[in-house]
Amino acid sequence: MADLAGVNGQRENFRVVGKPNLPGKLSYALATGIAKFGIDYVVPGMLEAKFLRSPYANAKVLSVDTSKAWKIPGVVDILTWEDEDIKKLNSFGESFGPQRAWLDDLADQEGAEVAVIVVAENEDICEEALRALDVEWEILPHITDALDGAREDAPVIRPQVREAPTFGAPSPDGPKNPPKRGNVAYANMVSGDIEAGFAEADHIAEYDMYMPAFASHMPNPSGSVAWWFDDPYTSGDGQSLRIEGAVREKRAIANMYGLPVEKTVQEGLFMGGKYCDWGLRKSQEITPLLAKRTGRPVRCVNTREETFDQIMCQRYMHLRVGFKNDGMITAIDDVSIADGGSWGSSSFGNVGDLTQGPFNSVKCPNISQRMQIVDTNRGLMYVSGQHCPFNWDSATMAIYLIAEELGLDPLDVAKYNLHGPDSKEDPRPVRSFDECLEEGRRLMNWDHHKAGTKTLPDGRKHGASFRYQMCPRHSFSSYNSRLELREGRVHLPTQGPLFGVYAVECNAMVVAEELGLEYDDVSIDFDHREEFTPVGGGSDGTTASAWVTKECANILKKQILEAAADEAENPPPPNMHGPMGGPPGPNPLKGYKPEELDMEGGRIIVKADPSKGLKLGDAVHRSVVATYAGKPPMALWTFGMGLRLDTMNTAFCEVAVDEETGEVEILEFGVVADPGKIMRLTSLESQIDQVMYFSQGCQLLEDFVYDKKTGVRLNSNMIDYKKPTILDVPPVHREFLETRSGNAAYGANGISHSLANTHLVIIAIHNAIGVWVDPPATPDAVLRALGKA
Amino acid sequence: MISGDNDNTTLTREAVLLRSAELIDAIPTALTEYRCPLCGGIFSDFAALESHYAEEHPGAASPTTALLSLNGRLCKVLIEPHWTLQRTLQFRLGLTGAKHMCDRGVCGSCTVIMDGRPVLACTILTVECEGHNIQTVEGIAADPRWKPLVDAYCKWDAMQCGYCTPGFLVSAKSLLDRNPNPTEEECREALSGNICICGTYPRHSQAILEAALKIARGE
Repeated sequence: MADLAGVNGQRENFRVVGKPNLPGKLSYALATGIAKFGIDYVVPGMLEAKFLRSPYANAKVLSVDTSKAWKIPGVVDILTWEDEDIKKLNSFGESFGPQRAWLDDLADQEGAEVAVIVVAENEDICEEALRALDVEWEILPHITDALDGAREDAPVIRPQVREAPTFGAPSPDGPKNPPKRGNVAYANMVSGDIEAGFAEADHIAEYDMYMPAFASHMPNPSGSVAWWFDDPYTSGDGQSLRIEGAVREKRAIANMYGLPVEKTVQEGLFMGGKYCDWGLRKSQEITPLLAKRTGRPVRCVNTREETFDQIMCQRYMHLRVGFKNDGMITAIDDVSIADGGSWGSSSFGNVGDLTQGPFNSVKCPNISQRMQIVDTNRGLMYVSGQHCPFNWDSATMAIYLIAEELGLDPLDVAKYNLHGPDSKEDPRPVRSFDECLEEGRRLMNWDHHKAGTKTLPDGRKHGASFRYQMCPRHSFSSYNSRLELREGRVHLPTQGPLFGVYAVECNAMVVAEELGLEYDDVSIDFDHREEFTPVGGGSDGTTASAWVTKECANILKKQILEAAADEAENPPPPNMHGPMGGPPGPNPLKGYKPEELDMEGGRIIVKADPSKGLKLGDAVHRSVVATYAGKPPMALWTFGMGLRLDTMNTAFCEVAVDEETGEVEILEFGVVADPGKIMRLTSLESQIDQVMYFSQGCQLLEDFVYDKKTGVRLNSNMIDYKKPTILDVPPVHREFLETRSGNAAYGANGISHSLANTHLVIIAIHNAIGVWVDPPATPDAVLRALGKA
Repeated sequence: MISGDNDNTTLTREAVLLRSAELIDAIPTALTEYRCPLCGGIFSDFAALESHYAEEHPGAASPTTALLSLNGRLCKVLIEPHWTLQRTLQFRLGLTGAKHMCDRGVCGSCTVIMDGRPVLACTILTVECEGHNIQTVEGIAADPRWKPLVDAYCKWDAMQCGYCTPGFLVSAKSLLDRNPNPTEEECREALSGNICICGTYPRHSQAILEAALKIARGE
């Protein structure tokens, strides 16, 4: 066990935590459509707003004449980038890239918001007004492929400097990145001696792969509705702002408009599937200004086509791995040419991504990850997502290449190359890894074969693949937790929001566990004025926040027991507004000290004689409030940025490939994961399904398609951009281990990001047919790889 | 001035099912005012609005009215001729269960039942809905006979972010209307027009099969 610090970290018996099928607190609202997401809000007198969007991939607005648009009935306001109100705006949302005016005359991708905002009685009038603008464009050269942008003769589309990443570099004293040249910035991370590593190798294997971009795909198009109102509940000058649709970013909106947080009201609890794509879109930020100017509520919502940002940008990868005859890796050299995103928005090179991947788990010290990050006009990427770059699969690829070359089982190659729990030099096994590996071997009836050598009875070729990952969950974030006993009931107040990981439910389960209550005994009070929001924490929803809640629950418990002992000695006076104080008859808790009492089954009991007790509400009449601010101990992986290993996971894939049609069928996925401690089983399972389906989509179906000549994206819609449906997805077999090695409550950890992958299916396809297919492995791509098309 | 009213405070099971019924009860059966979509002017009858259009907005496509049979209630709405049913439900009737996701008949998030068949509210014009019986997810939630289905969806976490879930639930109800005892394969087929980004697919069959059993037993 690793980080089981805090109260009851070693708890062995669980009544509530880990229980399946406890409905989410907001599930009924979601299932029935009662839940209102930002774009669902329709308020009386509401105006609509729309941005001018660029028809060009790269262009500058030289001038705009708005006079004809102003004459259209129903147009209420028109702003341009030259208006002082617009110039004052400054975003506090999460994104990367150089600082830039909030709205300007530059359009760096087709569909980018540029130069003008129109406000009108409805969306149709907005569209008509936008069509009536006389816009003079200067069309600039564009780049829609990172390889094109990296060429010496490529036009330079953006001269800004891109800062080199420094966060978590494995060798901070290493050589600095070269300065940006043309469109290309450099992010190089090197540890050890690469040349010596290759010189030492008995074999060198190489591999080239194109990884397509894939979409963030929030289900609900981005947008907001905002209005200003006189707020009788909040002091201070001026009106309060009500905004729905910015969700997690209430504080960001408050900062943007110079408002105290308490005068920024966002009551909506529902934000849709935002799996680490937290960036605010302009449609989420602009409505307060427009509402202020017009004196009316304003709604601004992107269309589906306008909600097609990238969760992962395109990348060309070249991998070279050196290894000994026994399969031991001696050097890994991973070179990529990657899309830096419109205006440098890609997280490549920004989030310490290069420091992850192979650096953090293999014994080999000689690792190089070098990336050319290329400016393009392809599109935006906000922060990172399920496929965050630390899930690059260089180590997975290296292991498979070695297994193929030497005729070994990749599971054995992985086991041989994995370092011990504490450092690259630690020879001890990692318990979590070994258990996940062996359980996976059993789960999948693992029987490895060399590429192209197994044919199924129906004539299709069979392939299988494997990968492992650590469960690198964050524990950086601190939380302010507050719990309250009020009128005999325990309350967990939170501002929300809800985005699909059942985080607050996990927290309520922990509270119930610690206080001897049932799940339904804990009231989750959603209140936008509250500070606590259990956002961070991984697939089990809890890495940091549940640990904090556990500590807070135990503080509350201590205070409740003290209050019960005190009230037993000093019954509270009658309350004229409620029931008389004190239990009827003699108080069975009288004469006992707080430490002689406990909480069980919704009662305060005497430890030595549990038959003596009172219901919580009869034992304590006063309100009791507990607070705790802090965070759990840092996860082990953060020490040395991934060079220490605690909870691990393994994933497996089996495919059948029809060499006549090129069709790939994923027969099954298998996942054996160690979440440390299962907190809420059903959501944990769902989140694993989700990342496996994400992985399926990006390797079999998804890509952005551009018209190279115009730079226009051709498939920003859900017809031409394919996501897996219920008929596409294979079974996902899941097994969980509970090593209690994580750093969250009871040794839990998160897992979901770490299971997202970009190579598992592709490797299985290679194992089936013996040739590499660049994803998405559509039938035509498979046939091309086989030389049949 | 609109206040910061809170409409998310009571979202328990009972409150949500009651709220569904309230929303249906609140659907206006008749129009009391006619608002010009171009300039916001308000008129007391449709003839006055038409006159206003002729005078102030000549050449513009004028609004129209539609009589809808929705969740068992007849209601008259003022719409623009090109409005989809999804837009009318959201913008005129306060029903947010038919969600706007793909806007072109791909994702199933706006599914409603029309004359017993699941249809996509984002690709059907409101004016085409006159004379047809339409049931939305709110109507299903408000009907006690379908509580086992709603309960099963919640028990099995057949949702994560929940945005697409009402569409799935409507498709599921439509399946059970046609086939009260479906197989898992039939469940998958019936839901193949609904897309979930959060990976809840296996949960839906689980929920539907459990609900089917309970409904058959009269639970």
